[in-house]
Amino acid sequence: TGGHTTEILRLLSCLSESYSPIHYIFADSDKMSEAKIRAFEQKRAETFSNSKFTLDRIPRSREVRQSWTSSVVTTLYSMLYSLPLTYKLKPDLILCNGPGTCVPVCVSALLLGLLGIKRAIIVYVESICRVETLSLSGKILYYFSDYFIVQWPELKEKYPKSVYLGRIV
Amino acid sequence: FRFKDSLAEDLRRADLVISHAGAGSCLETLEKGKPLVVVINEKLMNNHQLELAKQLHRDGHVLCCNCSTLVETLQSMDLSTLKPFPPGQPEKFALFLDKVVGFQ
Repeated sequence: TGGHTTEILRLLSCLSESYSPIHYIFADSDKMSEAKIRAFEQKRAETFSNSKFTLDRIPRSREVRQSWTSSVVTTLYSMLYSLPLTYKLKPDLILCNGPGTCVPVCVSALLLGLLGIKRAIIVYVESICRVETLSLSGKILYYFSDYFIVQWPELKEKYPKSVYLGRIV
Repeated sequence: FRFKDSLAEDLRRADLVISHAGAGSCLETLEKGKPLVVVINEKLMNNHQLELAKQLHRDGHVLCCNCSTLVETLQSMDLSTLKPFPPGQPEKFALFLDKVVGFQ
């Protein structure tokens, strides 16, 4: 959604041509991200003529400030979509930056890894808005991601297993 | 005005921006190199949304005030004290990711 999409597209902006195809996954309730993604990919195609991408939507796993218990239910519901989708895509690398949508996708990928079907590298980049505290997605994925990147030094101190590269968006 | 698709044009023409503490508004304004006064309404915003505005203020990139001190801030502000906001560096992320994935 919104800010998350803008941030993730900036993260992708300097990646080489080898990162292809890119599979974008976002919430079904998100009306604006598709246009942003298409605009970004159009520009990317000007430099990398062979770049490929796909777009997929899954149900939104959590509304802002939704209660914990109902969030677990809605996230499990989203997994009914994310699990077959992740199985179909079998990604080598998952890059996410915090919207609730990333939790069911990453959990699906972890499950596929545990079952020996496909092991993906999970890279989580916490939003630049997070200076002192982690988002809920961040708190969960800090333990389950392979690389957890923060953009402010205070978070690096609080979460020592994280990676700090400075501001990257 | 109500909602526009993009404020880019208005930002380009502005000499000063007065905004709420939303991250998108702050960053977009700072990246265009415009002086920014952030008005914080603690009652409306939840805590995490203030983190960025507070940090930007600590780093000297924005002026901060609340609704009741806005006029006074505008009257007494010295915009030359604001520090420029360097852009983020996604190239550092690309370098890092290349190592992680094994492209070198």
